[in-house]
Amino acid sequence: MNWAQLLLNSAITGSLYFLLTLGLTMTYDLLNFANVSHAELITFGAYIGYVVSDTLNLGFIWGVTASFFSSGLLGIISYMLVFRPLARRGADFIHLCIASVGYSLTLRFLMQQAWGQDIVLFESRFKAFTLGPIRLSWLGVSIMAMAIALFVSLHLILTRTKLGKAMRATSNNIVLAKASGINTEQVLLVVWFLGSALAGIGGVLKGCDTMVIPVLGWNLLIMVFATAILGGIGSFYGAFAAAYSIGLAENLSVATLGHLGLSTDYKGIVAFGILTAMLILKPTGLSGIKVFRRTLLRSDRN
Amino acid sequence: MIEINLVAYFLDTAVYVGIYSILTLSLNLEYGFTGLLNFGKVAFFMIGAYVSALLTVAGAPYAVGLLGGMVVSALSGLLMSLPALRLREDYLAIVMLVFGETIRIVLKNEIWIAGGPFGVTGIPPAFAFLRAIDTEEFYIAINVVIVYGILLVLYVLLETLVNSPYGRILRGIREDEQATQCLGKNTIRCMAQIFVIGSGVAGVAGSLYAQYVGYISTRMFLPIVTFTVMVMCILGGSGNNRGAILGALIMVGLERGTRIAKDYIGVPIDPQNLMYILTGTLMVLFLFYRPSGMLKEKPVKQDRQK
Repeated sequence: MNWAQLLLNSAITGSLYFLLTLGLTMTYDLLNFANVSHAELITFGAYIGYVVSDTLNLGFIWGVTASFFSSGLLGIISYMLVFRPLARRGADFIHLCIASVGYSLTLRFLMQQAWGQDIVLFESRFKAFTLGPIRLSWLGVSIMAMAIALFVSLHLILTRTKLGKAMRATSNNIVLAKASGINTEQVLLVVWFLGSALAGIGGVLKGCDTMVIPVLGWNLLIMVFATAILGGIGSFYGAFAAAYSIGLAENLSVATLGHLGLSTDYKGIVAFGILTAMLILKPTGLSGIKVFRRTLLRSDRN
Repeated sequence: MIEINLVAYFLDTAVYVGIYSILTLSLNLEYGFTGLLNFGKVAFFMIGAYVSALLTVAGAPYAVGLLGGMVVSALSGLLMSLPALRLREDYLAIVMLVFGETIRIVLKNEIWIAGGPFGVTGIPPAFAFLRAIDTEEFYIAINVVIVYGILLVLYVLLETLVNSPYGRILRGIREDEQATQCLGKNTIRCMAQIFVIGSGVAGVAGSLYAQYVGYISTRMFLPIVTFTVMVMCILGGSGNNRGAILGALIMVGLERGTRIAKDYIGVPIDPQNLMYILTGTLMVLFLFYRPSGMLKEKPVKQDRQK
């Protein structure tokens, strides 16, 4: 087995999961419900990216930028149109969860109507190259670079800025944050925008790597949930660690399944195993582990 | 112009309404009465369909297939309830969703179990000996009788169950699980029992479906089936068994209606897309304006004081 290649692939998969999970884990934490329609933001980003970069021929960078903003906007619209009014009407989290399923169906089939059920392929513009024992493409490099840049910048925002402090306070205790004069509504909007926009970028990158279909986001959703739960709902650092662990688990299981002559579809079962075990043994996820707590606390002194 | 057999068409619609009513009743028992969010309902529908199909294709009489589908489905419900029920509602939903997908992936990839992606073909109908004299209408009419007979029996049984003292425990779990525990009720055991009953009923629906359609494949059991049934339950009225049947009627009507809209009125939207767009929108709108559904839950019958 080519271990270097396996580790590299895991790093790419993990970076992608990190991008996709952030929005879900943050909104899950703040509004306390599992937002299934997060999947459709991923798909939407991928389609918009395709339209801008390939149909309009504006280049990949513009495609990614467009999907960042359009998915982010769609996230805000979803929040203002569906989830906020529902929460204000006093819907409990079961109802919010079911509403997100309904909303997700509407979005997915609107997209299927707009772009059709067939596979949409990005123009191949990333050359693969060989580096010692491994083969990688510039797309893989940019996915990893994007995730690292995101991690660093979000870490700085969370620990060094007023907005970051407000975000942490809101996530910690929304009532108390409101009482301390934090505009929690604004914080929520920022979180929805950012989380959805990152899901959109993840969608473009994944779509460019494989293909774009209406169920692109849906097929990723189970892994994204597994990542969010493994990392601990609402934990930024937990999500980072969990994304790479899940990426490694997925690539290891694909390699093992290949050796055993089983279908790689079974990698979903590995996620299922992780998810169930985690929920039963440690529902707080990795964020329950001290290291991450201390990181948060230390930053509080700033 | 193709000649369309209207009688057969309406009977066919009736059979689907019946099968979905059974499925919705089972979801209503779990979600509507007990408050268990089971996003993996389709898994038990699928297990019922596959077990029954494999049994009857192997030559067993239909009654054995039906019972087999029900029992295996109920047992897998029990098995899943052991880890899943200890979780919070939303985690339960996620785990059940993934469970359904897992079963589907296994059935799709292991061709030796049940044909993999090609599915099981040539499932004999429930009363094969009647086929000798059959016309299309007659065949479907027989199915209407079987499906609605079973639906009636299940309806009466479930109504009795939810209006019994046991049913009050279920509502208690839904409203406040801790308070119910404090009254000395073993809520985990109750929820496990409800999972078993609900899964068994879903298995019956699956078995009826398999023998009626005569062919099943993993493509028929996508998670979207669960969500359609969820809408039926919410639309009709969660916590009301009549509402569950009403919801099934409306949703099957909607599905047929979008096809008619495409073929006869010329709405330029793919009927499947239109159906799911409307389904999703209805789901959200109902949660907005009428979360209790069209038929409200009946108040608990109280014993008159002597």
